[in-house]
This record gives sequence, structure tokens and C-alpha cells, in this order.
Amino acid sequence: MFYLSRQTVSRHRSLYAGSFVALAVGVFLLGLAATATAATIAYRGPLADSITVTTLGGNDTAPTQVRVPTSAADTSGLQVVLSMVGTISGFITIFVIASTFAFAVASRRREIGLLRLVGATPRQVRRMILGEAFVVALVAALTGAVLAELATPLLLRKASYTELAPVKLEPASPWVPLAIAVGIGLLVAMLGARSAARRAGRVGPIDALREAALEPPRIGPVRIVFGLLFMAGSITLLTLIRPSTGEGVMPLAMFTPMLLVIALTLLAPLVVPWISRLWALPLTAWTRVSGSLARSNVVAAPRRSASLAAPILAISAVAGSMVLSLSFAADSAEATIRDSLRAPIVVTGDAKLDASLGTVDAGVPLQFVRIDQDSAELEDAEGIDPAIAARTRNLTPLSGDLDKLTGNTVAISKEMSSLEHYKIGDEVPVTFLDKTAAKLRIVAIVPDAFGVTPSFLIPLELAHKYAPTAEPERRFILPAPGVDVLGTVDSAVPAADWEAAQAEGVRKGNQFGLIMLLGPAAFYSAIAIANTLLMGSLQRRHEFITSRLLGATPAQIRRMVLWESSLVGAVALSLGTAITVTVGILIRHAMTSGMADVAVTVPWGVLLGIAGLCLTLAVGSALAPTTYILRRSQPSAAVE
Amino acid sequence: MTATAPTYPSVVPTEAPALLLDGITKTYRSKAGAVDALRGVTYHFARGSFTAVMGPSGSGKSTLLQCAAGLDQPTSGTVVLGGTKLNGLNEVTLTKLRREEMGFVFQAYNLLPSLTVHDNVALPLRLTGRRPRRADVHRVLEQVGLEGKAKRRPAELSGGQQQRVAIARALITRPSVFFADEPTGALDSGTSRQILGLLREATDRAGQTVVIVTHDPVAAAYAERVLFLSDGLLAGHLDRGTPSQIAAAMSDLER
Ligand SMILES: Nc1ncnc2c1ncn2[C@@H]1O[C@H](COP(=O)(O)OP(=O)(O)OP(=O)(O)O)[C@@H](O)[C@H]1O
Ligand SMILES: [Mg+2]
Repeated sequence: MFYLSRQTVSRHRSLYAGSFVALAVGVFLLGLAATATAATIAYRGPLADSITVTTLGGNDTAPTQVRVPTSAADTSGLQVVLSMVGTISGFITIFVIASTFAFAVASRRREIGLLRLVGATPRQVRRMILGEAFVVALVAALTGAVLAELATPLLLRKASYTELAPVKLEPASPWVPLAIAVGIGLLVAMLGARSAARRAGRVGPIDALREAALEPPRIGPVRIVFGLLFMAGSITLLTLIRPSTGEGVMPLAMFTPMLLVIALTLLAPLVVPWISRLWALPLTAWTRVSGSLARSNVVAAPRRSASLAAPILAISAVAGSMVLSLSFAADSAEATIRDSLRAPIVVTGDAKLDASLGTVDAGVPLQFVRIDQDSAELEDAEGIDPAIAARTRNLTPLSGDLDKLTGNTVAISKEMSSLEHYKIGDEVPVTFLDKTAAKLRIVAIVPDAFGVTPSFLIPLELAHKYAPTAEPERRFILPAPGVDVLGTVDSAVPAADWEAAQAEGVRKGNQFGLIMLLGPAAFYSAIAIANTLLMGSLQRRHEFITSRLLGATPAQIRRMVLWESSLVGAVALSLGTAITVTVGILIRHAMTSGMADVAVTVPWGVLLGIAGLCLTLAVGSALAPTTYILRRSQPSAAVE
Repeated sequence: MTATAPTYPSVVPTEAPALLLDGITKTYRSKAGAVDALRGVTYHFARGSFTAVMGPSGSGKSTLLQCAAGLDQPTSGTVVLGGTKLNGLNEVTLTKLRREEMGFVFQAYNLLPSLTVHDNVALPLRLTGRRPRRADVHRVLEQVGLEGKAKRRPAELSGGQQQRVAIARALITRPSVFFADEPTGALDSGTSRQILGLLREATDRAGQTVVIVTHDPVAAAYAERVLFLSDGLLAGHLDRGTPSQIAAAMSDLER
């Protein structure tokens, strides 16, 4: 059947152009992620800047030696982001390939029926479709790999000396990473083509004789069951987005929308017609005929409309909830910073401070390697004078006693204690950067104060002893009565200004992560949206020409397509909005419970931008081929 | 009209029939209600016979052909083709039977647009896993008068030429039964004659059985027997009728 696959692909080039572009871009992103990862692995930081420690072992894990890099010259941040970019690309590729191949099969029903008629078995038909997928995938994957290889030096130049990889990265040997990317691309394409192939195998020889069969009206019970299962799973996860879940709410807020999208995509043929009817109410009232035609087209072909809506729904829901969640997280971080700091004045420079100014909380920042059963990690800590710090910041212990912070002791944040299951009295093995090892006994658990106080607090003497060169980076001041600190010390600022600057830093960091994560996904989704709508319109050549024959003007047909694609876009965006709002409300509640006066920052610009972009893309890519078809063909072509 | 008796003996009763229909009924069910397209058809198609099926639009001709060829399952009744009972065969066995024993020609959409004429004709052989010999393909193309067009694609051929390619494709596997549903429906009379001549030749020279559905009395006159179908029932037959006799019988039926 392979020879047949090759022939049909070259014949149906336009039908497969979508799959080709989608997969080439997917493999391009995968390949870039892979070559860049290879470059980070090939990068060897200076050996002096690391500490080798032995993990504790236990619970079936043997103690092992790990090298913990201590300089900032570390590329693990970039590696994490790259692996996420790779995962997202692979995941979306399956969806895009599945939908483009489903389209290709649906529009060739008659041809497949003919094949069956002249003696192809269902198995041969399946193999033919898979063969077509393979031909397209192979060419696309190789193209993507070549593009990735060409773009790698550019990416590495951009990524070098950034927050994620503050070093110079050089391209490593591309063969292995690109082979992996091509392999994954092929695998993913074949997975995506499987359901289309199975559907093609079910086409009977009799389909060759019937008029282009309308799609089967009902969706399969299996699809409904899976849709409901995903729905139930997402709702369960949604109920977990509550205050008691603690730090887990943020991953939940990012992961649940994806599940919801899958659930809604599966159930879309049931859901889409209803929402379309709602949206069509104003449309049919305002327009004369094009609006109601558009409505019937969307409602009567629920499967088609659903697959057109799917990519818009996916990106709007995922991006929308991510943007909103991160913004609300920043709001809550801002409130935490505000609530954690009691001192009215902060000195950020290294000005000499006279003791007569008031109480000065000059904590010393330092780092140590914390050793676990199976890992070791570099942690931020601060050496404090507990008597003073307890007055300038909110350090009232949730349990334990801060007064006992003397000698080899440590106070940890609530987050750290719940993350690592530490209790009062536990001993934490650490190695300071001067390579001395110590065991620190936990004496208190204090509230989280991200941005003000790190997760580990040790006595000031201990910090001076093991990090003698460390200097305070900022000092919190409780002025003595009648002293004007702001007027006398240059680098002194009101606490509110400092808090605002810290919060701004959090938002900036979020933004950077968002661009790194969503950038490729958004780019890819844009292609997917354009892809499906373009193919959707191209498929309707015959219908458009017949309408022309019946007396519809080109303008009328264009208006119909305009309304149709807007309707599909509106339906998808309203579902995406529903998901975004639900997740937003839940995460806001989870993150701000117990806090007062938390600002509400809704990034309207970004959210509306996403919606606008989706809609423009959808309408544009439906209209462009329509205009092209109408210009290229006369009504008489309908008779051919 | 020579006979309207309710039983229809095969033309050459000495041999086992190529195709046997026994009490075929077919009911289509849809939201709009049930349609009885066939209401009990029994008939034996003799080996080497050329039979035309005629009847008013909607009388069940296409349905009959589809059930006889195993493309559709009858609601009740049995179909036996060359000694094999089609009822209850699985899709793969049915497919193999179809590609070895049956040939099809329809009014339109007979060819795969992506394949050349040569590849379209060779397709059934390829599907059986055999490597088609160039000479075989050439021979059947010659038989239908298209020897120079092997490298063309269907879109580059006229309607009649496309139909002849479809016949060549059916000829190459030497099927025992040809099914044709309005094979000349969209062709001019000259081209129609050419197509029907080819089918006629298949029965005369190779002893293949041909069943065609047609509206055209001239086309039906190529058959030694015309069956008339009305409302899902056989309403009579006419042997070796002239076009005008067939036309008269048809208008009787439609009255
Ligand atoms: N797939 C189907 N679903 C429901 N009803 C059908 C279907 N196919 C055919 N019918 C109905 O069955 C009856 C017989 O149809 P059939 O196609 O066999 O007629 P025909 O004799 O071939 O007509 P024509 O000469 O117009 O081709 C008709 O009433 C038709 O409406
Ligand atoms: Mg018919």
C-alpha cells in the first residue's frame, strides 16, 4: 500500500499541506529544544564552583555523591524550560496531526469507498492512511530538523548570558538530538494518524456510490464516556484548588485547564451547537440571510464545527488561565510582602548606619547545600538577630520558639516544612560554601514571606562564621523617635516603595516564564487555527460554487463564511473564557484566603489580545481561501 | 412483452447459476421512517448471461445491485455468488471475494484521481499482492481501445474514456460477474455503444456474467434478458427485446 500512499500524498498536496506545516513546526521546536539541551549538557562549568556531597540514603535509596554547582553559572533553569517546551510541542503535535488527518480522511470518503470497492481490505486502507501519514511526517520531520539545526546558533546566542543560563553556550553535535526530535515527530504523527486511519478503515465500499455522505449525526458512546471521564477528573482537580492545598494550587491551575480542554473537545459536538444557537440569536436578528445560513452550517455539522473550534478553545483556555493565575499570584505575593514587613523604612545601599537612627535589622544573606535522602540542593538562607528581626518583620512562629535560634539551629518557613515534612526538633544536614558540614536543629516554623525572608533563617553568628564575607543587601529600620532616616540616609526608601519594587520583580519574572512557556505553544496554536480553518474552507469549494450557481453573490458567500467563522470563534472563546474565569476565581480564593486588601490585577490587555488574535486568525484563515476560490472559479464549474 | 409469469427460470438452466438471489428484502430505516426498497426478489442469473434491470426511479434497482454484489446486506433473503453464500461473511472475506470474482462500473467516480490510467487498472492486482505485469495491463487497455493513454490521469480523460478505464480495471482480474449501475448514464449514444459492446464481448468471449442497471432501452437491448422492477418487486421480463419493445414495456410499467 505504500506506493499508493506516496501517489495520493503528492496528489492531495493541499490537503496535507496543513499536516506538513504543523509537523514541521513541531519538529522544529522539538529539535531546537533538543539541540539547545545538548548544548547545556555539553557545557561544563568551572569545577571549582561546586561542592560534592553525599546524600543520606535510606528508604531503598543508597547514598550517592552529587555535585551541586554553587556559582550562578548554571544551565539547569534553561534545561527545565527547554524540556517543557519540548513536551508542549510534542503534545500539541498529536492534536494537530490527529485533526488534520481526520479532515483528510473525511474529505476523501468517496475515494476510500472506491478503493474498498475494487478490493482493498479495511486493513489495507488503514495501512494506506498510515503510509500517507508516514510520507508526510518523514518529509516534514526532516524539514523541521534542518530548520532547527539552522536556528540553533541563533537561539544559543539569545539564550547565553540570560537569567536562565548566565553562561556562553556553544552548539554541540546535532546528530543525536535531531535524531531524537525526528523520531519523536514521527512517533507522534503516527499516533495522531491512528484514529483517522481507523475511521478510514470503517468506510464501506458502498460509500463510493453515495453522495458525499454527511457526517454521521451522533458521536460515539466511547467518545462521550471519555469526555465525561475527563470532565469528572477536571472537576475533581478544580475542587482541589482551595486554600488548604497550599503550594500545589499553581500547578493545578496550569494543568487543569488542559484536562478541561480535552474534555470539552471530546464533548464539543454536543456542546457546540447549543452555544452556537445562543450566539446566533443576535446574528440572525441583525443580518438578513447570511447570518442564519451561517448558523445552520455551524449547527448542522457539529463535528466539523467542533474540530474548527478545538485549537481556539485550547490556546485561549490554557493561555488565559495561565495569565490570570500568574497575575493573581503576583497580587498575592505583593500582599504577602506588604504583610511580612513591619519596619517603615528600608535601606538598600551599603551606607553606614549610625546606631542612634533606631533599630537596624541587618540580616546577612548566604547559601548552603541542604542534603536530603536522595538529593542535595543549594538553598538561600539569612543570618538574623531573632530579637530584632522579630520586630521588623512578621516572624511570629507558627510553632516552636524563635528565641531558641542560637548555635547550630535553624528556623524554616511553613512552605519548606510542608514540602520536606520537617518538624520542630529535626536536624537538617547542610554543607556551607566553605565546605564545612553541620547539622542544624529546627527550632521554629515561621510564616512564608516570599521576597522578604528566605526559607531558612539561622543565627547571625553562624552566618558570620561560615560566610565571613557576606554583607547585608537590604536593612529594615525601625527609626528611633524623632529621627528622620529618609532625610539623612541617601539609600533609604519608605517600605511601601521597596515593597512595590519587589512585587514588580515578581511580575517581571512571571512574564519571562510565561513568554518562554506560552510563546512556542501560542505560535503553534496559531498555525493550528489557521490550518483547520483554511482546510475547512478549501474543502467547501463545491458548495461555494453551487451556491454561486443558485444565485448567491460572492459577497453573500463571503459574509456567510465571515459569520460562520466568527460564530465558531465566539463559541470557542466563550468556553475558553468560562474555563479561565473558573480557574481564576478558584485560584484567587485559594491564594488570598486569610489576607486582607489584596489588589485585583486583571491583565485585560493581554487577555483581550489573546481573544482578538484568535478571532482574527480564525476569520482571516476562513475568508482568505473563500475569496481565492470565488475569484478562481465561475459558477459553471459546479456542473463539472 | 412475452411473459409476466411469477417465476423466472434461468436462461440456461443446465448449469449452476453464477448468481442466485433468494427472497431478498431490504428495508432502509431512518428518522423519516422505514422504506421497503426491495420486497422479496428471487432470481437466478445464469453463467455467461447478460441481464439488464430496468424500472422507474426509486423502484429499487440500485439497491438490488448493491445487495447482489454484497456491498450492502439485505434485510432478509440469501445471495449466493459462484457457490459462496454472501450472508454473514466477514468484511475481509467479502472483500477478497469481491476483488477476485466481481467487477464494477458505475455512472461516475469510478477511478482514483491520484493514480494514472495504468495504475488504476493495475490496482485490483496490486491489492491482492500480485505484481501486475505491464503486458497484462497493456492487453486490457488495448481491449478497451485506450492503449496510448496509460500515463494519463483520470482528470485528463473524457467521460467515456474514464468508463472504459473502469471496464479495463474490471477485466484485468477476469471476474465471473460484472455489475454496472447506469454505466452509460452520462454518455452520448456513440460512446454508450462502445461501452456496452465491451460488456457484451465479455459475456460472449469469456463467458462472464453481466448485470447492468439502466434507464436506456437502447442499452437494455444489448442484454438477452431485461428484468423489470417496480416498487421493490420483479414485475416481469423481456427476452431479446428490441429497443422499441423495451420502451413500450417500460411505459406500461410506469402507467
Ligand atoms: N441509503 C438509503 N437510505 C434510505 N432510503 C434509501 C437509501 N437508498 C435508497 N433508498 C430508498 O430506497 C428506494 C430504492 O432506491 P434505489 O436507489 O434502489 O432506486 P433506483 O431504482 O436505483 O432509482 P434511480 O433509478 O432513481 O436510481 C427509494 O425509495 C430510495 O428513496
Ligand atoms: Mg439507482
